[in-house]
Amino acid sequence: MAKGMFVDTSVCIGCKACQVACKEWNGLQGEPAHFRNDPVSMRPVAVNFTGNSYDNTGALGATDWRHVRFIERFSEDRSRARWYFSSDSCKHCGDAGCLNACPTGAIIRTGLGNVTVQQDVCIGCKYCIPSCPFGVISFSEGTGTVHKCTLCNDRIHNGLGTACAKACPTNSIRYGDVADLRRAANARLERLKSLGYGQANIYGYDEAGGLNVFYLFLEPPAVYGQPERPVVPQRRLPGASAATIAGAVAVGVAALVCFRERGQAEGKDEEVDK
Amino acid sequence: MNPEVHAPGWEWYYVAMYFFVGGVSAGAYVIASLAELFGGEKHREVSRTGYFIAFPLILLAPPLLIADLGRPERFWHLMLYARSGFPSFNIQSPLSVGSWALLVYGVMALLSFLDNMVEEGKVRNAPFARFYDRRPRKVYAVVGSAAGFFVAGYTGVVLDVTARPLWAATDPLVGALFVASSASTGAAAIFLTMAAYKTLPKLHRAAFERFDRFVMILELALALAVVLIAGKYAAPLLRGINATMFWGGAVLAGTIVPLAANWFAGRSAPGDRISDNIVVLMAVLVLLGGALLRISLVQAGQV
Amino acid sequence: MIMGSNMAECHPVAFRWPLKAKTDHGAVLMHVDPRFTRTSAMCDVHAPIRAGTDIVFLGAVINHVINSERWNTDPFFREYVVNFTNAATLVNRDFKDTEDLNGLFSGMSPDGKKYDNATWSYQRERPPRPAVAGAETLTDLLLQRVPGRPRTDPTLSDPRTVFRILKRHYSRYTPELVEKVCGCPPQTFLKVAKNLLDNSGRDRTSNITYAVGWTQHTVGVQIIRTAAILQALLGNIGRPGGGVLALRGHATIQGSTDIATLYHSLPGYLNMPDARKAHDTFRDFVLTEAVPVATSYWGNYPKFAVSYFKAQFGDAATKENDYGYDYHPKITGDHSHLPMFVDMMAGKIKGFLVMGQNPAVGGQNARFQRKALAKLDWMVVRDLYETETSAFWRNSPEIRSGELKSADIKTEVFFLPAAGLPEMEGTFTNTQRLIQKHDKAVDPPGDARSDTWFSWHLGKRLKALYADSKHERDWAIRNLLWDYDPEPAEAAHWRIKDEPSAYKILKEINGYTFADRKPLPTFAVLKEDGSTACGAWIYTGVVPEEGVNRGGSRKADDWISPGWGFAWPANRHIMYNRASADSRGNPWSDRKKLVYWDPAADSGTKDAAGKPVFGKWVAPSGEGIDFQPTKAPGFKGRENGLGFDWLSGNDAFIMRPDGKAWLFAPAGLVDGPLPAHYEPYESPVENLVYGQQSNPVAKVWNVDGNPYHKVADPSYPIVVSTYRLTEHHLSGTMSRNLPWLAELMPELFCEISPELAAEKGIRNGGYVTIRTARAEIEARALVTRRMRPFRIGGKVVHEIGLPWHWGWQGSANGDVVNNLSSLVADPNVSIHEGKVFTCDVRAGRKGGAA
Repeated sequence: MAKGMFVDTSVCIGCKACQVACKEWNGLQGEPAHFRNDPVSMRPVAVNFTGNSYDNTGALGATDWRHVRFIERFSEDRSRARWYFSSDSCKHCGDAGCLNACPTGAIIRTGLGNVTVQQDVCIGCKYCIPSCPFGVISFSEGTGTVHKCTLCNDRIHNGLGTACAKACPTNSIRYGDVADLRRAANARLERLKSLGYGQANIYGYDEAGGLNVFYLFLEPPAVYGQPERPVVPQRRLPGASAATIAGAVAVGVAALVCFRERGQAEGKDEEVDK
Repeated sequence: MNPEVHAPGWEWYYVAMYFFVGGVSAGAYVIASLAELFGGEKHREVSRTGYFIAFPLILLAPPLLIADLGRPERFWHLMLYARSGFPSFNIQSPLSVGSWALLVYGVMALLSFLDNMVEEGKVRNAPFARFYDRRPRKVYAVVGSAAGFFVAGYTGVVLDVTARPLWAATDPLVGALFVASSASTGAAAIFLTMAAYKTLPKLHRAAFERFDRFVMILELALALAVVLIAGKYAAPLLRGINATMFWGGAVLAGTIVPLAANWFAGRSAPGDRISDNIVVLMAVLVLLGGALLRISLVQAGQV
Repeated sequence: MIMGSNMAECHPVAFRWPLKAKTDHGAVLMHVDPRFTRTSAMCDVHAPIRAGTDIVFLGAVINHVINSERWNTDPFFREYVVNFTNAATLVNRDFKDTEDLNGLFSGMSPDGKKYDNATWSYQRERPPRPAVAGAETLTDLLLQRVPGRPRTDPTLSDPRTVFRILKRHYSRYTPELVEKVCGCPPQTFLKVAKNLLDNSGRDRTSNITYAVGWTQHTVGVQIIRTAAILQALLGNIGRPGGGVLALRGHATIQGSTDIATLYHSLPGYLNMPDARKAHDTFRDFVLTEAVPVATSYWGNYPKFAVSYFKAQFGDAATKENDYGYDYHPKITGDHSHLPMFVDMMAGKIKGFLVMGQNPAVGGQNARFQRKALAKLDWMVVRDLYETETSAFWRNSPEIRSGELKSADIKTEVFFLPAAGLPEMEGTFTNTQRLIQKHDKAVDPPGDARSDTWFSWHLGKRLKALYADSKHERDWAIRNLLWDYDPEPAEAAHWRIKDEPSAYKILKEINGYTFADRKPLPTFAVLKEDGSTACGAWIYTGVVPEEGVNRGGSRKADDWISPGWGFAWPANRHIMYNRASADSRGNPWSDRKKLVYWDPAADSGTKDAAGKPVFGKWVAPSGEGIDFQPTKAPGFKGRENGLGFDWLSGNDAFIMRPDGKAWLFAPAGLVDGPLPAHYEPYESPVENLVYGQQSNPVAKVWNVDGNPYHKVADPSYPIVVSTYRLTEHHLSGTMSRNLPWLAELMPELFCEISPELAAEKGIRNGGYVTIRTARAEIEARALVTRRMRPFRIGGKVVHEIGLPWHWGWQGSANGDVVNNLSSLVADPNVSIHEGKVFTCDVRAGRKGGAA
């Protein structure tokens, strides 16, 4: 009975309560890269203004496990005016690239379906980082290990929901059984389509083995910064292995041909220095 | 392809250099063992030299790997699951399988190395001497060359089986490219060692040079193919320092120039031999090219 | 319709309700605002208007509505308006409107500074014969002075009816005017107007929600009035889903104004004794304040006032000494924030207590306010962190520039640590008048203490100091009841044992019979004979019996939820809900049923023969009935009665002396009985509606350090508006000190349209310098199409936006935006005009670097 979250971006107001609740519950620090020491006041001061709409977080990171995206879609004459908000986080993929890539077994899936990093096992090899098609899991210089959303692993194993879902004022983020959430999402999608939102879509039913944290978008996923057809990289392992083996075979055959001891005298095309 | 996929933040002087060192070691070992399996006594010197350098080279690998970890003291988690102590193996992770392959290869390289020492009488210790025997040598050679091929190529698979746009776009060829590169750098390392120990005269040049030629052509073809299939995602390899390293270092200096020298050497009359100095220079270029190939690919994927 | 508010950003938790109405019930959400904000993103319609032109827009909706076919043919509107508003009331024959005087009303003084509202009065019948001959009580005084009933013309045809005056007044407010003055496309305006009209009536209601985007103007009160007029004309007041919702600007500021931290009122919105008015004696006070409103529920003014004094002074308050009235402080002028700082700058103020406020950043013309602080002898600041105000003497732009030198500042600054939210017990009163109990979770650390602790102990120490004083002026302090000692059970759990009892404070606010200290269940039992004490009559009922705090109840249902908290007054959530039934007491529709007359219900009273009287108002939802429960719809009020006796069965607006919603305000406002468009005090354009440029009686302070821009000053051609973001709290004390919030919005930025950016060579992410006659600041540039230029009367007017949260303390620093604004205010309530003024903008940093 997998647990997950349904993120209905159509009712997200971009308030970032989810980002703050996540930091608060998980005891996360301000992202170190966002601060520099101010020589006058002798304390860290935030300097991470990006100029990218209201998004100064930029990306998910080792201490940013939720990241609200702001997408302004205005035509030049402003006749088309949309501002979308989407709270990005780990999607707890059914087929998780990070989990597949982890060589130490640090990344595991619990009985509730969420994917989490065992901080005492991780060696900080960082291989999971480029293995996530969504750019989620990140490395912390401070701990020497990787971090990401745990789906509030401690809360959900004690009968509570996720902190972000609890804090969300508009019920845009909902926690529950994935099966129930899918039903609710389908109903919401129906309703939006009937109201004329023809491009509304659910992102996460089929992607990456099914995302336990899935989304409702009003426009194609690329508008929201998500890959349209994400590929779990390990699916390409057989192909890459086969090609490499072929390469090895080629070298081996070359060696066979070039080095093979022949019965005939080796004189004409070889020279042995004396 | 999603440009938001994070770069792992691997340092070139650890990870790319590990790829290189592992590649040279494995290449040398593979040549040595294939030469022994297929060529026998005629290529004894090549085998000897290959076995001689493979193990010391691979000793450099673990420190390089461990140094780039966030928690270096936990490196042993790669082999044993921290919670239970049981062996840890994840077939979907090239890093996991590669760690075991590295271990097997390392053991084989050590055995072949010791074997060498015993054969040359440098190790007179009786227990060791008992290991010297024709049959185990073949076993080491077979197992070790298989593991060696793995060590040579898996690092390319490591890169290709990620979601980073450049690496994902060069899939599935980088593994084969690294195998070819390992062979050429392994050969170069053997050349250099023989030059240093003045055993070059014992080399059956023609055979070795034919093998070397094939391998470098394969490497050149794969390098070009890698860039072609990457299409628009190859951009990081086409500008800046990564382009210089890849095209100037790996392709031109490391492959084309030595290939040209090799070709001329093959065409020359038996009386004209290219000098040992040229051979040494070419070997250095090949090694340099091999290093720059890996550095440029690893760094270009993290841009 | 959300206007003058950015609800999704500034009231995000409340915003879930409009959003739910939209997603679950198909409600149409509309946002009228100069900027496209996170609220606009969630709304179906965004109507852009130039800042400060709200009255034009709303006036045009009024004009559209009252001239529409639907409004003139659907009988609902006529019935509601004639019965529940003063549309039919006849106005003084000497009244002259802005139509007659090119933007002024009759009664302006020769110096053009003050209105005499005598000509705005109603026409009245002759005064009735008083119900009492002599005046034994204060109530008797009121009974002797009941005015004649207002004269009306229910057919609305007399040109002196409020309706005809109103119609004429707004006749020039057309969609074309909206385009010309607001810069809003007429088709967008009409979409809004149509949606409001179509969604009002018997079966449907529309709501208008506003916040400080309306209040912080020199015409702030009038903007709100325009919306109230519109809603009254649409029949939306007192009905579910209707009304005008004021989103207050700070958490529990509703409670703050209810229990009167405002200088000009006493708790429960009684007026403060004022040395400038005829308030010499208590009798004078009651006559002056209560007579004009005695025919409304305010007819109980004497009971409210006496009970208040009794609560303050206890046994020392007796009939003989007028319950201590003479010793109660009186104000002598406008002591609100802005004039207080003008006095401070002039050296007239010696000491200053600053609790949870940060005028060094939050105050208008902040440089002026910071420099004024240097004129104090002493200042006490209580806050959670060292604020800019508490640090002004050692670190501020003025110190850094050398304009002020620490060594020369004689102000002694005391910084006391305050308790944070979870460390305090008490109640919150939210923007819906809902009182909710708030539990203390943990003691504050170290010496940090709550504001209640501080105030109580300060008062105790002062009482001790004055205990032996023989001066009359010290009577009040000496006799202050002030008994909030905690019960042992209340203090047992905590480290800090001397925190005052929040329960006792609330009980005092609620009121109790003085003799036995039993809490009062309702303000209906308040007396003027000193037998009842009551701190704030509007709260009576929150503690209906000993030990019960209804603010703590948490029973919710899908609708009114009368079991959740306590809404003053008397747990009535929708005020004036008598208007949710028609003139015969029947619900307007089944769909919009709330409160209605049930003629068969037992009223609970018996007639002279001892038989039960039938008929009462009922509300099945549990909603409190904002009316006399047993008054029949057809009841005719007594000509010479007070309050409920005077009010008839259709007088839903029980706090108005005529029981009607005021389309036309004959009294109470100093700048006119009808809202008219005046330009903001600083504007890049002339008033295209009238000859009168700006509010003629706006409060201005022509003092050094407060220069104003001229109208259409070419040096300051750009309109600027200041506002707030979700991520920060006010002056940033509570948010810029938290890394998680600091990194969400780290630096001050200025929102600029691409058109203006191109004109000035400003690039996104670069720096921009903004300048007024008061100061110059720099900000990061955020170039976005959410800002737009407006075409006003043929010329392009640019507008920029500045969130004002930044200061120099904390983990996210930036220039103080309020350095730019001036001291100028609404004349009715002295609120500053922070939402619109003019400036100039250039690319690059302050010092000249890019």
